[in-house]
This record gives sequence, structure tokens and C-alpha cells, in this order.
Amino acid sequence: MSFDCTEYLQYTVLHLTGEVDLSNSSKVRSCLLEILDQGKSVIVDFSTLTYIDSSGMATLVEGLNIANKNNLSLFIAAANGAPLQVIELTRLNQVFTLVNAVEDIKE
Amino acid sequence: MFTQIEKLGSSFIGRIEELGRFGLFLYSVILGVFSRPFGFRELVKQIAFIGARSMPIILLSGLFTGMVLAIQFYAALVDFGAVDRMGGAVAQSIIQELGPVMTALMVIARVGSATCAEIAIMRSEQQFDALTCMAISPYRYVMAPRLLAAIVSIPLLTAIYNLVGIFGGYVVGVFLKDLSGTAFMQTVIDTISWSDLRMSVVKSFLFAILIIWIAMGKGFFVHLEKGVSGAEAVGRVTTKAVVASAISMLFVDYIASSFLI
Amino acid sequence: MTQKTAKTNTKSLIEVNQLDSAYGDRQVLNDINLSVNEGEILVIMGGSGSGKSTLLKNMLGLMPPSAGEILFDGLNICDANRSQLSKLRRSMGVAFQGGALLSSMSVGDNIKLPLRQHTDLDENTISIMSRLKLELMNLADYEDLMPSELSGGMLKRAGLARAVIMDPKILFFDEPSAGLDPVTSVELDQLILQLRTAMNMTIIVVTHELESAFTIADRIAVLFDGELVITGTVDEIKACTDSRVINLINRTPRDIQLDADQYLSRLTKGAE
Repeated sequence: MSFDCTEYLQYTVLHLTGEVDLSNSSKVRSCLLEILDQGKSVIVDFSTLTYIDSSGMATLVEGLNIANKNNLSLFIAAANGAPLQVIELTRLNQVFTLVNAVEDIKE
Repeated sequence: MFTQIEKLGSSFIGRIEELGRFGLFLYSVILGVFSRPFGFRELVKQIAFIGARSMPIILLSGLFTGMVLAIQFYAALVDFGAVDRMGGAVAQSIIQELGPVMTALMVIARVGSATCAEIAIMRSEQQFDALTCMAISPYRYVMAPRLLAAIVSIPLLTAIYNLVGIFGGYVVGVFLKDLSGTAFMQTVIDTISWSDLRMSVVKSFLFAILIIWIAMGKGFFVHLEKGVSGAEAVGRVTTKAVVASAISMLFVDYIASSFLI
Repeated sequence: MTQKTAKTNTKSLIEVNQLDSAYGDRQVLNDINLSVNEGEILVIMGGSGSGKSTLLKNMLGLMPPSAGEILFDGLNICDANRSQLSKLRRSMGVAFQGGALLSSMSVGDNIKLPLRQHTDLDENTISIMSRLKLELMNLADYEDLMPSELSGGMLKRAGLARAVIMDPKILFFDEPSAGLDPVTSVELDQLILQLRTAMNMTIIVVTHELESAFTIADRIAVLFDGELVITGTVDEIKACTDSRVINLINRTPRDIQLDADQYLSRLTKGAE
């Protein structure tokens, strides 16, 4: 699993690659919380993500909650395959704003 | 005739098997004490249950035992003109013998039965299987904290019982039999030696291990009880645990007394 | 007693080879040969006394077999060392019949237990993970209750939540439908199917409920008196000509021949 951050408009884009699971989700968490701490809104890019488990999703839920509290946004972009099924199974597709691609976000 | 011998033989073999099981059980629990991570939360909970919540009955039984002992000793010593030795006699009987034994009996009644039943129910509901399948050792997580809690609490309860018992003797001696308070305490101090206290501690420590070991072991192996299941089995092993702890405790008491007196 | 195995081209995750199991002198399982493929839902069926609980116990490593071996991804659990077994168990979830929750802690704490014991995840993450699973099981409001305050069906679902809290690769489910009302039972079946699809879980279900079995199974293994009669897809099971399997499917009561004289003497034994 690897991740990196890029900038897009006023957002920080967190690109997740590979598989996020129990062994590495805490690293993602630290990074995500740090970005939010700096007052930046986040787009989590799922395009190169092949698998995410509930520890990963829980991390994103925590991030969304913090974002909402601080008037920031958190989007999930390009969810597909297994990660998308997990989002649907846990009904988090109704909680997160899902977009097809990072570029779909205009403002 | 042969069936009688067969029965006797298989019952004997059954006992030996049970002893072996219990031995291995204790070994596993002791290993569990040294395994990481240790269940501290459970340890504290158990010390509260075994130790703190036994205080009321320890205080009450200690007080009354001490008082009765004083009455008895007074009656016996007055014929020898030796009532001034009453304090020491009461104290020594309590510290050497009655303190550890009575504390153990109170704990068996309260904690032994409850612990055995709890463990037996956990077994019946497959909670130990569930823990094993979650790669959590039941010995480390459930049993070891209880063993340690017993070893910490029961000697302390015994010490408290000893104190309250001597106090009970004091109350009877000074307020009922008009003995001098300072004289009473002086004979106590004169009579009691370190070997008496050592006996009290050693006995209470041994009793602690015995009580919790038998209670947990009987509960843990409830599924091996023949002919019963469910609630009836739980009831049966609890009774067996209480009886077995009491009798083994008295036996160990005898052995310890012969060696340490 | 031919054993027909469905043709699959996926990896075999669990293998049971020539398994015998006994309680003392009583032989319970005889020469069981079974394999479970990755990502499949295998249902083990049989009536009471067929040995299915014993088979489950053997597969979980809760009791040693008297002969044979059980391999998980090549690892023989019968002679695995403690750390290998521990590692394997952390990738497996087991949902027991009555839930088997620890009675001394709340439902929420029960579900969080594996996470607290085996991971360093932050408490916030653990909390959200446990609530995600509770929501999945429709138990959201029961997080702080004690197991004694839950009904049988809820306990079962809580046990399942705990079994899947770490998103295991393999899930064992002992009698999911027993004691549940039909609606909850169907919902649970759907949940099992969803778990397999979304998480690519390999699921082994032990049950005697036909409807459930036919709904969820990729393959069914039928046990009778300690022997594996047939292993196959739902269609293969339905087409099976073995009388015991046919009786099981059609739920015909066993035809016990009545001897009139013996019957009368049994009824009147010991009468004056």
C-alpha cells in the first residue's frame, strides 16, 4: 500500500494505491488527520485502490466527521470494484459524497 | 462381582485423570499469569470482587469468632488462675489457625461458588471456544487474573480477620470480663512471634491458590461431567467445588500446621 | 457412497483429508474428505447426530482428530505451533450458535475485543468499526447493553458482528438460522451473501435448515452418521439418488417399521 498527496484547486488529494487494511490504515489515518488539521479540505482518490477494509473506512468516517465539524469537505473520488462494494455494503455511499473523478469537483 | 471391580477401577482411573487434568490446568493458568498482554482490568475487577466485597463477612465473622474464643478461653483459664494469659491465647489461636481457616471458608462460600458457576456457564455457552478461536488464551485472559487476585486478596483478608478477631477478644476480655486492656494487649505482644505470623501468611497463601484453582477447574471442566448438562451440571460442579475446596483446605491446614508449628 | 465434488478452478483454501474423529471409544466421523475453495460458500448439512458439530470443532482446531489432517492454505493445524495457529486464527472469524459473547462486558466491548487484543488501532477507529458492524446487523442501539439483556436472535447477530470485525478471510457460522424467525433468517442469508461478495470472504456454514442452505450455498456437503455422503452444487444435491439425501431434501420422516407385538409389550412393560 502506498499513498501520496497532491494539490487540486483548494483541496489536498490523497491518492491511495493498493490495499488498505489493518496493518496500514493507521498510517493513512495520521496523514488524513494532519491534512485536516491544517484546515484543508480533502479528496480521497480511490482510482488506484484495489481493496479497503473496515479499518480503512472507519478512518475515512472519522475524517469526514472532523471535516464536517470544521466546515471542511471530504470527498471520495473514483471508487470502483471491491472498495465500492464495501462502501455500498456499509451504506456509507449515503454518508460520503462520491464523485467519479477528482476533476469533477469544480469549486 | 467383576462389574464391581470394574467400576471401582474405572472410578479410580477417573480420579487420577481428573487430578492430571487439574494439574495441567494449574500449570496453564500460571503460564497465563506471565503472558502478555495481561488482563489488568479483569485483575482489578476480581480484587474488588474477591477482596473488597468480602470485607463485610470477614469483619463480622472475625469479630464474633474472636468474641466467642475469648469467652471459651476465659472459662478454661479461670480454673487455672491464668486468665491474664487470655489475650495471648486468643491471638495465637486466631493467627495460627482460625484466621486462615475461617477466612478461607468464608471465601469458599462466597467466591468459590460464584467463580465456579461463572466459569461453568462460560464453558456451557462456548465462550472459551470463542476466545480460543479469536487467538485469545482463556488462561491468560480469564483465569490468570482470578488466580492473582486471589493470591493478593485472601492473605490480606486473613490479616484483617486476625486483627478484628483479636479486637473481638479484647472487647470481651475488657468489657465483659473486666480484664485490664493494657495487660490484654501485653500478653498478645508477648505471645505472638514471627513464626505465628509466618504460619498465617503461608496458610492463607496456600488456601488462596487451592480455593481459586479448584473453583475455576471444576467450572472449566463442567462439560466432562457425566450424566448431566446445562443448569444441573453447573449446580453440581459448584457444589463439588465448594466441598472439595473446603476439605482440601482443611487437609492442607493440617499439613501446614504440623510443619510450621 | 460416492462423493461427487463440483468442478471448480479456484484455489483450494481449506482441505480436510481422511479425517476421523472420536470421543473416547465412540467414533463420530469416518474418513471425511472435503475441500473449501477461496471465495465460496460451503454449507455443511446433516441431521442431529450426523457429526457436523464435531466436524466444525475439528476444523476450528478445538479438538484433535483421531486420524487425518486439516490444512489451511497448506498449514496442517494439527501440528502447527502456537504462533502459526494464532496468526491463522486472526484471519478467521467464528460465529457460534448462541453468540458466545463474554457475559461480563457490554455488546460493544465484546465486538471490539479482537481489535483491542490484536491491533494498535486508535480507539476512535475501533469504535467506528464496531458501530459499522453493529449497523450492518441492525443492532445499532444495543451497543451499551449487556449480553443478558439481548434476545437469542440479537445475540447471534452480535456474535456474527464480532466474528467479522477484523474482516476475516474465512468465516465459520454455526447454525445461523436456528431459533430465528423466518424474516430475520432471510435477512441473515442475504447478509452472508453480501459479505462474500463485498469482502471476498470464504464462508463455511453448518446448518440443518434446507431453505437457507439452498439460498446461500455454492456447494453443499451432506453428512450422515459421521460419513460424507455427497458434496456438490445445489443442483447436484437435488439430483442425487441416495435415499438418505432424498429423505433429507423432501423432509420425509424416517419410516420406522412397526412390529405390533413388540410395540404392545413396550407399552405395557412392568404393568401388573
